[in-house]
Amino acid sequence: MARPRQAAIAGVYTTKQGKLPDRTSFSLQLEAIKGALDDAGIPIEEVDGIIPLSMSDHLPGTTAHQFWANQLGERPLGLMETGGASGALAKAALAIENGMCEVVVLFYGKAGSLVGPRGTAMPDRAPRVPDWSFYQSGAYMTTWYALWAQRYMHEFGVTHADLAEVAVFTRHHATLNPDSIMGRKGDITVEDVLNSRPICEPLNLLDCSLDNDGGYAVVMTSIERARSSKKKPVLVLGGAESTYTDFYVTINDPWFPEEGKAVRRATDRAFAIAGIDREDIDVAGLYDCFTITTIRDLEEMGFCKLGEGADYVKEGHCALGGKMPTNTDGGLLSNSHAGDPAGMHTIEVVRQLRGECGERQVPDAKLGVSLQQGWAVHGMAGVLVMATE
Amino acid sequence: MTYLKPLPQIEPRNKEFWDGLAAGEFRVPKCDNCGHYNWVPYPACRSCLSEAQTWTPVSRDATVWSFSLVHRGPGAFNDDVPYAVVLAKLAEEPRSCIVLGNTTGIAPEDLYIGMPLRIVFEEIPGEDVTVFRFAAADAAEPDDADAALSAENQPATVA
Repeated sequence: MARPRQAAIAGVYTTKQGKLPDRTSFSLQLEAIKGALDDAGIPIEEVDGIIPLSMSDHLPGTTAHQFWANQLGERPLGLMETGGASGALAKAALAIENGMCEVVVLFYGKAGSLVGPRGTAMPDRAPRVPDWSFYQSGAYMTTWYALWAQRYMHEFGVTHADLAEVAVFTRHHATLNPDSIMGRKGDITVEDVLNSRPICEPLNLLDCSLDNDGGYAVVMTSIERARSSKKKPVLVLGGAESTYTDFYVTINDPWFPEEGKAVRRATDRAFAIAGIDREDIDVAGLYDCFTITTIRDLEEMGFCKLGEGADYVKEGHCALGGKMPTNTDGGLLSNSHAGDPAGMHTIEVVRQLRGECGERQVPDAKLGVSLQQGWAVHGMAGVLVMATE
Repeated sequence: MTYLKPLPQIEPRNKEFWDGLAAGEFRVPKCDNCGHYNWVPYPACRSCLSEAQTWTPVSRDATVWSFSLVHRGPGAFNDDVPYAVVLAKLAEEPRSCIVLGNTTGIAPEDLYIGMPLRIVFEEIPGEDVTVFRFAAADAAEPDDADAALSAENQPATVA
Protein backbone atom coordinates (compact mmCIF):
# COMPACT_ATOMS: atom_id res chain seq x y z
CA MET A 1 0.00 0.00 0.00
CA ALA A 2 1.46 3.35 -1.02
CA ARG A 3 1.92 5.84 1.79
CA PRO A 4 0.60 9.38 1.37
CA ARG A 5 4.08 10.42 2.49
CA GLN A 6 7.03 9.00 4.41
CA ALA A 7 7.91 9.73 8.05
CA ALA A 8 11.51 10.07 9.18
CA ILE A 9 13.43 10.68 12.38
CA ALA A 10 15.25 13.98 11.97
CA GLY A 11 16.69 14.59 15.43
CA VAL A 12 17.75 12.75 18.57
CA TYR A 13 19.34 13.91 21.80
CA THR A 14 20.44 12.50 25.13
CA THR A 15 21.29 14.65 28.15
CA LYS A 16 24.06 13.60 30.48
CA GLN A 17 23.00 10.31 32.16
CA GLY A 18 23.95 9.49 35.74
CA LYS A 19 23.49 11.11 39.15
CA LEU A 20 22.30 14.64 38.44
CA PRO A 21 21.50 16.14 41.86
CA ASP A 22 21.54 19.72 40.56
CA ARG A 23 18.93 19.12 37.87
CA THR A 24 15.13 18.83 37.84
CA SER A 25 13.03 16.51 35.71
CA PHE A 26 11.57 19.57 33.97
CA SER A 27 14.93 21.05 33.06
CA LEU A 28 16.12 17.71 31.66
CA GLN A 29 12.94 17.47 29.57
CA LEU A 30 13.34 21.00 28.22
CA GLU A 31 17.04 20.43 27.48
CA ALA A 32 16.13 17.22 25.62
CA ILE A 33 13.44 18.93 23.53
CA LYS A 34 15.75 21.81 22.58
CA GLY A 35 18.65 19.44 21.98
CA ALA A 36 16.76 17.11 19.64
CA LEU A 37 15.27 20.02 17.68
CA ASP A 38 18.75 21.56 17.36
CA ASP A 39 20.08 18.17 16.18
CA ALA A 40 17.39 18.25 13.48
CA GLY A 41 17.81 21.94 12.72
CA ILE A 42 14.07 22.44 13.15
CA PRO A 43 12.82 25.47 15.12
CA ILE A 44 10.42 25.03 18.03
CA GLU A 45 7.78 26.98 16.07
CA GLU A 46 7.30 23.97 13.76
CA VAL A 47 6.46 21.48 16.53
CA ASP A 48 2.80 20.45 16.39
CA GLY A 49 2.83 17.05 18.03
CA ILE A 50 4.21 15.91 21.38
CA ILE A 51 4.71 12.60 23.16
CA PRO A 52 5.51 13.43 26.79
CA LEU A 53 6.58 10.34 28.72
CA SER A 54 6.10 9.96 32.47
CA MET A 55 6.86 12.71 35.04
CA SER A 56 6.09 15.46 32.53
CA ASP A 57 2.86 16.88 33.99
CA HIS A 58 4.15 19.94 35.80
CA LEU A 59 0.91 21.83 36.49
CA PRO A 60 -1.51 20.07 38.84
CA GLY A 61 -4.90 19.48 37.24
CA THR A 62 -3.50 20.08 33.74
CA THR A 63 -2.47 17.23 31.45
CA ALA A 64 1.15 17.02 30.34
CA HIS A 65 0.06 17.77 26.77
CA GLN A 66 -1.77 20.95 27.78
CA PHE A 67 1.10 22.11 29.96
CA TRP A 68 3.71 21.60 27.27
CA ALA A 69 1.49 23.16 24.56
CA ASN A 70 1.54 26.33 26.59
CA GLN A 71 5.11 26.07 27.87
CA LEU A 72 6.42 25.69 24.32
CA GLY A 73 4.76 28.96 23.32
CA GLU A 74 1.03 28.31 23.01
CA ARG A 75 1.49 25.67 20.36
CA PRO A 76 -1.70 24.37 18.72
CA LEU A 77 -0.91 20.63 18.73
CA GLY A 78 -2.18 18.12 16.21
CA LEU A 79 -0.90 15.01 18.00
CA MET A 80 -1.11 14.36 21.72
CA GLU A 81 0.24 10.85 22.27
CA THR A 82 1.25 9.15 25.48
CA GLY A 83 4.34 7.05 25.80
CA GLY A 84 5.67 4.52 28.23
CA ALA A 85 6.31 1.23 26.58
CA SER A 86 3.69 1.84 23.91
CA GLY A 87 4.39 2.28 20.23
CA ALA A 88 3.91 6.04 20.42
CA LEU A 89 6.57 6.64 17.76
CA ALA A 90 4.86 4.14 15.47
CA LYS A 91 1.63 6.08 15.76
CA ALA A 92 3.43 9.40 15.35
CA ALA A 93 4.71 8.13 11.99
CA LEU A 94 1.16 7.30 10.91
CA ALA A 95 0.01 10.75 12.04
CA ILE A 96 2.74 12.47 10.01
CA GLU A 97 2.18 10.27 6.98
CA ASN A 98 -1.54 11.01 6.99
CA GLY A 99 -1.28 14.73 7.56
CA MET A 100 -2.40 15.04 11.17
CA CYS A 101 0.80 16.90 12.05
CA GLU A 102 4.23 17.88 10.78
CA VAL A 103 6.83 17.72 13.56
CA VAL A 104 6.51 15.46 16.61
CA VAL A 105 8.76 15.47 19.67
CA LEU A 106 8.91 12.53 22.09
CA PHE A 107 10.71 13.45 25.29
CA TYR A 108 11.57 12.28 28.78
CA GLY A 109 13.61 13.49 31.72
CA LYS A 110 13.93 12.43 35.34
CA ALA A 111 16.11 13.68 38.15
CA GLY A 112 16.29 13.01 41.84
CA SER A 113 14.20 9.90 42.37
CA LEU A 114 14.98 6.20 42.27
CA VAL A 115 13.00 3.41 40.64
CA GLY A 116 14.45 0.50 42.64
CA PRO A 117 13.95 -0.51 46.29
CA ARG A 118 16.50 2.06 47.53
CA GLY A 119 13.90 4.69 46.63
CA THR A 120 11.32 3.32 49.10
CA ALA A 121 11.20 5.20 52.42
CA MET A 122 10.51 3.48 55.75
CA PRO A 123 6.94 4.38 56.80
CA ASP A 124 5.79 4.94 60.39
CA ARG A 125 2.66 2.81 59.91
CA ALA A 126 1.56 0.18 57.42
CA PRO A 127 0.80 1.93 54.11
CA ARG A 128 -2.42 0.94 52.35
CA VAL A 129 -2.12 -0.12 48.72
CA PRO A 130 -4.56 -1.44 46.08
CA ASP A 131 -6.02 -4.83 46.96
CA TRP A 132 -3.97 -7.25 44.87
CA SER A 133 -0.80 -5.15 44.78
CA PHE A 134 2.56 -6.92 44.80
CA TYR A 135 3.81 -4.28 47.23
CA GLN A 136 2.12 -6.25 50.02
CA SER A 137 4.54 -9.10 49.40
CA GLY A 138 7.73 -7.05 49.18
CA ALA A 139 7.92 -7.55 45.44
CA TYR A 140 9.03 -4.89 42.94
CA MET A 141 10.06 -4.80 39.29
CA THR A 142 13.21 -6.85 39.81
CA THR A 143 11.21 -9.50 41.69
CA TRP A 144 8.78 -9.82 38.80
CA TYR A 145 11.54 -10.31 36.27
CA ALA A 146 13.21 -12.76 38.69
CA LEU A 147 9.99 -14.80 38.88
CA TRP A 148 9.84 -14.71 35.08
CA ALA A 149 13.49 -15.78 34.81
CA GLN A 150 13.08 -18.61 37.34
CA ARG A 151 10.06 -20.03 35.50
CA TYR A 152 11.82 -19.62 32.13
CA MET A 153 14.98 -21.37 33.36
CA HIS A 154 12.81 -24.21 34.69
CA GLU A 155 10.85 -24.69 31.47
CA PHE A 156 13.74 -24.47 29.03
CA GLY A 157 16.73 -25.77 31.01
CA VAL A 158 18.54 -22.43 30.86
CA THR A 159 21.09 -21.52 33.57
CA HIS A 160 21.99 -18.27 35.28
CA ALA A 161 25.34 -18.42 33.48
CA ASP A 162 23.38 -18.40 30.20
CA LEU A 163 21.52 -15.25 31.24
CA ALA A 164 24.78 -13.63 32.33
CA GLU A 165 26.11 -13.69 28.77
CA VAL A 166 23.72 -10.83 28.01
CA ALA A 167 25.32 -8.61 30.67
CA VAL A 168 28.78 -9.46 29.29
CA PHE A 169 28.21 -8.46 25.66
CA THR A 170 26.16 -5.42 26.67
CA ARG A 171 28.93 -4.17 29.00
CA HIS A 172 31.49 -4.61 26.24
CA HIS A 173 29.42 -2.34 24.02
CA ALA A 174 29.28 0.22 26.84
CA THR A 175 33.09 0.28 27.00
CA LEU A 176 33.00 1.58 23.40
CA ASN A 177 30.46 4.30 24.23
CA PRO A 178 32.15 7.28 25.93
CA ASP A 179 28.75 8.57 27.18
CA SER A 180 27.76 5.33 28.94
CA ILE A 181 27.67 5.17 32.72
CA MET A 182 29.37 1.79 33.15
CA GLY A 183 31.76 1.79 30.19
CA ARG A 184 34.65 3.25 32.16
CA LYS A 185 34.45 0.30 34.58
CA GLY A 186 35.55 -2.00 31.80
CA ASP A 187 34.52 -5.43 30.61
CA ILE A 188 32.91 -8.04 32.85
CA THR A 189 32.81 -11.84 32.69
CA VAL A 190 30.09 -14.39 33.31
CA GLU A 191 31.78 -15.11 36.66
CA ASP A 192 31.54 -11.41 37.58
CA VAL A 193 27.79 -11.56 37.02
CA LEU A 194 27.41 -14.81 38.98
CA ASN A 195 29.54 -13.40 41.82
CA SER A 196 27.80 -10.02 42.02
CA ARG A 197 25.49 -9.72 44.99
CA PRO A 198 22.02 -11.23 44.69
CA ILE A 199 19.12 -8.79 44.39
CA CYS A 200 16.16 -11.06 43.62
CA GLU A 201 17.41 -14.57 42.91
CA PRO A 202 18.09 -15.74 40.31
CA LEU A 203 18.95 -12.16 39.30
CA ASN A 204 22.12 -10.60 40.69
CA LEU A 205 23.21 -6.96 40.60
CA LEU A 206 24.86 -7.29 37.19
CA ASP A 207 21.69 -8.88 35.75
CA CYS A 208 19.85 -5.63 36.52
CA SER A 209 19.63 -2.35 34.67
CA LEU A 210 21.01 0.87 36.12
CA ASP A 211 18.86 3.28 38.14
CA ASN A 212 19.99 6.80 37.27
CA ASP A 213 18.87 10.27 36.19
CA GLY A 214 18.76 11.50 32.61
CA GLY A 215 16.70 12.75 29.70
CA TYR A 216 16.32 12.25 25.97
CA ALA A 217 14.18 13.28 23.01
CA VAL A 218 13.36 12.16 19.46
CA VAL A 219 12.10 14.42 16.66
CA MET A 220 10.04 12.91 13.83
CA THR A 221 8.77 14.68 10.71
CA SER A 222 8.11 14.05 7.01
CA ILE A 223 11.00 12.90 4.84
CA GLU A 224 10.70 16.13 2.83
CA ARG A 225 11.16 18.27 5.95
CA ALA A 226 13.86 15.95 7.29
CA ARG A 227 15.91 16.24 4.10
CA SER A 228 16.32 19.96 4.64
CA SER A 229 17.35 19.51 8.27
CA LYS A 230 20.89 19.16 9.58
CA LYS A 231 21.31 15.41 9.88
CA LYS A 232 20.86 12.42 7.57
CA PRO A 233 17.18 11.36 7.88
CA VAL A 234 16.32 7.93 9.19
CA LEU A 235 13.18 6.50 7.59
CA VAL A 236 10.47 4.95 9.71
CA LEU A 237 9.47 1.93 7.63
CA GLY A 238 6.85 0.69 10.04
CA GLY A 239 5.91 0.25 13.63
CA ALA A 240 3.26 -1.24 15.86
CA GLU A 241 2.24 -1.67 19.47
CA SER A 242 0.48 -4.29 21.54
CA THR A 243 -0.57 -5.09 25.09
CA TYR A 244 -2.23 -8.12 26.62
CA THR A 245 -2.42 -7.77 30.38
CA ASP A 246 -2.69 -5.53 33.44
CA PHE A 247 0.06 -3.79 35.43
CA TYR A 248 1.91 -6.64 37.20
CA VAL A 249 -1.24 -8.17 38.71
CA THR A 250 -2.56 -11.12 36.69
CA ILE A 251 -0.31 -13.98 35.58
CA ASN A 252 -1.63 -15.90 32.60
CA ASP A 253 -0.61 -19.56 32.31
CA PRO A 254 1.37 -20.42 30.21
CA TRP A 255 3.84 -17.55 30.51
CA PHE A 256 5.79 -18.67 27.41
CA PRO A 257 3.27 -19.85 24.82
CA GLU A 258 4.58 -20.93 21.43
CA GLU A 259 2.41 -18.31 19.72
CA GLY A 260 3.90 -15.47 21.76
CA LYS A 261 2.27 -12.48 23.39
CA ALA A 262 2.39 -8.69 22.97
CA VAL A 263 5.99 -8.44 21.75
CA ARG A 264 5.31 -11.09 19.09
CA ARG A 265 2.23 -9.32 17.80
CA ALA A 266 3.82 -5.87 17.69
CA THR A 267 6.91 -7.25 15.94
CA ASP A 268 4.96 -9.21 13.34
CA ARG A 269 2.82 -6.16 12.54
CA ALA A 270 5.80 -3.80 12.41
CA PHE A 271 7.73 -5.98 9.96
CA ALA A 272 4.61 -6.55 7.85
CA ILE A 273 4.04 -2.81 7.57
CA ALA A 274 7.73 -2.19 6.90
CA GLY A 275 7.71 -4.83 4.18
CA ILE A 276 11.09 -6.26 5.10
CA ASP A 277 12.33 -9.58 6.44
CA ARG A 278 13.62 -9.56 10.03
CA GLU A 279 16.68 -11.51 8.88
CA ASP A 280 17.81 -8.36 7.07
CA ILE A 281 18.14 -6.25 10.22
CA ASP A 282 21.69 -4.89 10.65
CA VAL A 283 21.40 -3.41 14.15
CA ALA A 284 18.89 -3.76 16.99
CA GLY A 285 17.97 -1.89 20.15
CA LEU A 286 16.06 -4.35 22.33
CA TYR A 287 14.67 -3.49 25.74
CA ASP A 288 17.08 -4.95 28.30
CA CYS A 289 15.90 -4.00 31.78
CA PHE A 290 17.29 -7.36 32.96
CA THR A 291 19.41 -10.04 31.29
CA ILE A 292 16.37 -12.33 30.95
CA THR A 293 14.53 -9.60 29.04
CA THR A 294 16.98 -9.53 26.12
CA ILE A 295 16.77 -13.31 25.76
CA ARG A 296 12.98 -13.21 25.71
CA ASP A 297 13.02 -10.22 23.31
CA LEU A 298 15.01 -12.24 20.77
CA GLU A 299 12.58 -15.17 21.00
CA GLU A 300 9.35 -13.19 20.95
CA MET A 301 10.55 -11.04 18.07
CA GLY A 302 11.28 -14.16 16.04
CA PHE A 303 15.05 -13.73 15.73
CA CYS A 304 15.30 -17.25 17.16
CA LYS A 305 12.95 -19.95 18.40
CA LEU A 306 11.28 -20.17 21.81
CA GLY A 307 13.79 -21.43 24.35
CA GLU A 308 16.79 -20.63 22.12
CA GLY A 309 17.42 -17.00 23.07
CA ALA A 310 20.39 -17.83 25.28
CA ASP A 311 21.95 -19.93 22.52
CA TYR A 312 21.51 -17.04 20.09
CA VAL A 313 23.40 -14.78 22.49
CA LYS A 314 26.13 -17.37 23.16
CA GLU A 315 26.66 -17.79 19.42
CA GLY A 316 27.70 -14.14 19.36
CA HIS A 317 24.94 -12.80 17.11
CA CYS A 318 24.18 -9.82 19.41
CA ALA A 319 27.78 -8.68 19.80
CA LEU A 320 29.49 -6.14 17.57
CA GLY A 321 30.72 -8.19 14.63
CA GLY A 322 27.80 -10.61 14.98
CA LYS A 323 24.91 -10.88 12.56
CA MET A 324 22.67 -8.48 14.53
CA PRO A 325 24.64 -6.25 16.92
CA THR A 326 22.25 -5.40 19.74
CA ASN A 327 22.23 -2.57 22.29
CA THR A 328 25.46 -1.13 20.94
CA ASP A 329 25.29 1.81 23.39
CA GLY A 330 25.47 -0.55 26.38
CA GLY A 331 21.71 -0.70 26.80
CA LEU A 332 19.80 -0.27 30.02
CA LEU A 333 22.22 -2.67 31.72
CA SER A 334 25.39 -0.62 31.17
CA ASN A 335 24.57 2.66 29.40
CA SER A 336 21.60 4.24 31.20
CA HIS A 337 18.18 3.51 32.69
CA ALA A 338 16.64 6.78 33.85
CA GLY A 339 13.24 5.37 34.82
CA ASP A 340 11.34 5.45 31.53
CA PRO A 341 13.92 4.60 28.87
CA ALA A 342 11.33 3.84 26.14
CA GLY A 343 13.14 6.00 23.57
CA MET A 344 16.76 5.15 24.31
CA HIS A 345 16.99 2.06 22.09
CA THR A 346 15.48 3.96 19.17
CA ILE A 347 18.00 6.78 19.63
CA GLU A 348 20.97 4.40 19.46
CA VAL A 349 19.60 2.71 16.33
CA VAL A 350 19.16 6.15 14.71
CA ARG A 351 22.77 7.02 15.55
CA GLN A 352 23.94 3.72 14.05
CA LEU A 353 21.97 4.29 10.85
CA ARG A 354 23.47 7.78 10.60
CA GLY A 355 26.96 6.32 11.04
CA GLU A 356 27.71 8.44 14.12
CA CYS A 357 28.83 5.71 16.51
CA GLY A 358 32.62 5.84 16.32
CA GLU A 359 34.30 2.77 17.81
CA ARG A 360 30.99 0.95 18.22
CA GLN A 361 29.74 1.69 14.70
CA VAL A 362 28.18 -1.25 12.87
CA PRO A 363 29.73 -1.07 9.38
CA ASP A 364 27.28 -0.16 6.64
CA ALA A 365 24.19 -0.38 8.88
CA LYS A 366 21.09 0.19 6.72
CA LEU A 367 18.20 -1.46 8.57
CA GLY A 368 17.47 -1.28 12.29
CA VAL A 369 14.75 -2.19 14.75
CA SER A 370 13.92 -1.03 18.27
CA LEU A 371 11.74 -2.66 20.91
CA GLN A 372 10.40 -0.96 23.98
CA GLN A 373 8.41 -2.98 26.49
CA GLY A 374 7.12 -2.93 30.04
CA TRP A 375 4.05 -2.30 32.25
CA ALA A 376 4.18 -6.07 33.01
CA VAL A 377 6.87 -8.51 31.94
CA HIS A 378 6.60 -8.16 28.15
CA GLY A 379 3.13 -6.79 28.88
CA MET A 380 3.14 -3.78 26.57
CA ALA A 381 5.32 -3.48 23.51
CA GLY A 382 6.24 -0.97 20.83
CA VAL A 383 8.35 -1.88 17.79
CA LEU A 384 9.87 0.50 15.24
CA VAL A 385 11.59 -0.58 12.01
CA MET A 386 13.98 2.05 10.62
CA ALA A 387 16.21 2.42 7.57
CA THR A 388 18.70 4.71 5.90
CA GLU A 389 17.30 6.56 2.90
CA MET B 1 6.13 -4.77 66.95
CA THR B 2 4.25 -2.49 64.60
CA TYR B 3 3.60 -3.95 61.17
CA LEU B 4 5.07 -1.48 58.65
CA LYS B 5 4.61 -3.38 55.38
CA PRO B 6 1.93 -2.40 52.88
CA LEU B 7 -1.59 -3.71 53.53
CA PRO B 8 -4.65 -3.72 51.26
CA GLN B 9 -7.26 -1.01 50.97
CA ILE B 10 -10.38 -2.96 51.90
CA GLU B 11 -13.37 -1.82 49.84
CA PRO B 12 -16.90 -3.12 49.23
CA ARG B 13 -15.87 -4.86 46.01
CA ASN B 14 -13.11 -6.90 47.70
CA LYS B 15 -14.36 -7.15 51.30
CA GLU B 16 -15.58 -10.74 50.76
CA PHE B 17 -12.02 -11.81 50.11
CA TRP B 18 -10.49 -10.20 53.21
CA ASP B 19 -13.41 -11.33 55.39
CA GLY B 20 -12.71 -14.82 54.07
CA LEU B 21 -9.11 -14.73 55.24
CA ALA B 22 -10.28 -13.69 58.73
CA ALA B 23 -12.67 -16.67 58.66
CA GLY B 24 -9.95 -19.10 57.60
CA GLU B 25 -11.01 -19.29 53.95
CA PHE B 26 -9.30 -18.28 50.71
CA ARG B 27 -12.18 -17.14 48.52
CA VAL B 28 -11.89 -16.80 44.76
CA PRO B 29 -14.58 -15.54 42.37
CA LYS B 30 -16.11 -18.59 40.62
CA CYS B 31 -18.14 -17.99 37.49
CA ASP B 32 -21.81 -18.95 37.91
CA ASN B 33 -22.03 -19.58 34.18
CA CYS B 34 -18.94 -21.62 33.20
CA GLY B 35 -17.55 -22.60 36.60
CA HIS B 36 -14.09 -21.16 36.04
CA TYR B 37 -12.22 -19.55 38.92
CA ASN B 38 -10.63 -16.16 38.19
CA TRP B 39 -7.52 -14.78 39.88
CA VAL B 40 -6.94 -11.91 40.34
CA PRO B 41 -10.62 -11.05 40.76
CA TYR B 42 -12.01 -9.17 37.75
CA PRO B 43 -15.52 -7.72 37.28
CA ALA B 44 -16.42 -10.45 34.77
CA CYS B 45 -15.20 -13.99 34.10
CA ARG B 46 -12.25 -13.93 31.69
CA SER B 47 -13.40 -17.21 30.12
CA CYS B 48 -17.05 -16.43 29.26
CA LEU B 49 -17.48 -12.72 30.19
CA SER B 50 -20.32 -13.44 32.59
CA GLU B 51 -20.64 -10.87 35.37
CA ALA B 52 -22.30 -13.45 37.63
CA GLN B 53 -19.50 -14.70 39.90
CA THR B 54 -19.62 -16.00 43.45
CA TRP B 55 -16.85 -15.73 46.04
CA THR B 56 -16.10 -19.41 46.66
CA PRO B 57 -13.69 -20.94 49.19
CA VAL B 58 -10.98 -22.96 47.45
CA SER B 59 -9.09 -26.01 48.71
CA ARG B 60 -6.04 -23.93 49.76
CA ASP B 61 -3.83 -26.50 48.05
CA ALA B 62 -1.27 -25.03 45.67
CA THR B 63 2.15 -25.67 44.15
CA VAL B 64 5.13 -23.39 43.59
CA TRP B 65 4.92 -22.14 40.01
CA SER B 66 7.89 -19.79 40.33
CA PHE B 67 9.76 -18.11 43.17
CA SER B 68 12.44 -15.57 43.98
CA LEU B 69 14.58 -15.00 47.06
CA VAL B 70 14.69 -11.26 47.63
CA HIS B 71 17.92 -9.84 49.08
CA ARG B 72 17.09 -6.15 48.81
CA GLY B 73 13.65 -5.24 50.10
CA PRO B 74 11.63 -2.02 49.81
CA GLY B 75 10.92 -0.17 53.06
CA ALA B 76 10.21 -2.45 56.04
CA PHE B 77 10.82 -5.56 53.96
CA ASN B 78 14.55 -4.83 54.04
CA ASP B 79 14.59 -5.97 57.69
CA ASP B 80 13.56 -9.47 56.57
CA VAL B 81 16.02 -10.23 53.77
CA PRO B 82 16.35 -12.73 52.36
CA TYR B 83 12.65 -13.50 52.04
CA ALA B 84 10.77 -15.48 49.44
CA VAL B 85 8.20 -14.21 46.97
CA VAL B 86 6.37 -17.07 45.28
CA LEU B 87 3.93 -17.47 42.46
CA ALA B 88 1.68 -20.30 43.62
CA LYS B 89 -0.67 -22.14 41.28
CA LEU B 90 -3.90 -23.07 43.03
CA ALA B 91 -5.16 -26.63 42.66
CA GLU B 92 -8.42 -25.37 41.15
CA GLU B 93 -8.95 -25.99 37.41
CA PRO B 94 -9.37 -25.47 34.52
CA ARG B 95 -8.37 -21.78 34.37
CA SER B 96 -5.08 -21.40 36.24
CA CYS B 97 -5.11 -19.15 39.28
CA ILE B 98 -1.53 -17.94 39.89
CA VAL B 99 -1.28 -16.15 43.24
CA LEU B 100 1.65 -13.99 44.34
CA GLY B 101 2.57 -14.05 48.02
CA ASN B 102 5.10 -14.74 50.76
CA THR B 103 5.96 -18.01 52.48
CA THR B 104 6.04 -18.96 56.14
CA GLY B 105 8.15 -21.65 57.75
CA ILE B 106 9.93 -22.68 54.54
CA ALA B 107 13.72 -22.51 54.42
CA PRO B 108 14.84 -20.72 51.24
CA GLU B 109 16.93 -23.67 50.09
CA ASP B 110 13.90 -25.96 50.31
CA LEU B 111 11.86 -24.07 47.71
CA TYR B 112 11.49 -25.64 44.28
CA ILE B 113 9.09 -25.34 41.37
CA GLY B 114 6.31 -27.90 41.89
CA MET B 115 6.65 -27.90 45.68
CA PRO B 116 3.26 -28.58 47.33
CA LEU B 117 1.97 -25.65 49.36
CA ARG B 118 -0.96 -24.89 51.60
CA ILE B 119 -2.47 -21.46 52.18
CA VAL B 120 -2.42 -20.41 55.86
CA PHE B 121 -3.51 -17.22 57.58
CA GLU B 122 -1.91 -14.56 59.75
CA GLU B 123 -3.64 -11.82 61.71
CA ILE B 124 -1.82 -8.51 61.60
CA PRO B 125 -1.59 -7.04 65.12
CA GLY B 126 -3.01 -3.55 65.47
CA GLU B 127 -4.67 -3.70 62.05
CA ASP B 128 -8.06 -4.88 60.80
CA VAL B 129 -6.49 -7.26 58.29
CA THR B 130 -5.76 -10.98 58.13
CA VAL B 131 -3.33 -11.91 55.36
CA PHE B 132 -2.43 -15.20 53.69
CA ARG B 133 0.92 -16.97 53.46
CA PHE B 134 2.11 -20.12 51.74
CA ALA B 135 3.33 -22.92 54.00
CA ALA B 136 4.81 -26.27 52.99
CA ALA B 137 1.89 -28.68 52.50
CA ASP B 138 3.52 -31.34 54.66
CA ALA B 139 4.58 -28.95 57.46
CA ALA B 140 1.71 -29.69 59.82
CA GLU B 141 -1.96 -30.45 60.00
CA PRO B 142 -3.55 -27.39 58.42
CA ASP B 143 -5.60 -26.35 61.41
CA ASP B 144 -2.65 -26.77 63.78
CA ALA B 145 -0.52 -24.69 61.49
CA ASP B 146 -3.12 -21.96 61.44
CA ALA B 147 -3.42 -21.96 65.21
CA ALA B 148 0.35 -21.84 65.66
CA LEU B 149 0.58 -18.86 63.35
CA SER B 150 -2.10 -16.94 65.21
CA ALA B 151 -0.45 -17.70 68.54
CA GLU B 152 2.91 -16.50 67.33
CA ASN B 153 1.13 -13.35 66.31
CA GLN B 154 4.00 -11.82 64.39
CA PRO B 155 4.93 -10.96 60.81
CA ALA B 156 5.98 -14.11 59.08
CA THR B 157 7.45 -13.03 55.78
CA VAL B 158 10.82 -14.59 56.55
CA ALA B 159 11.14 -17.75 54.56
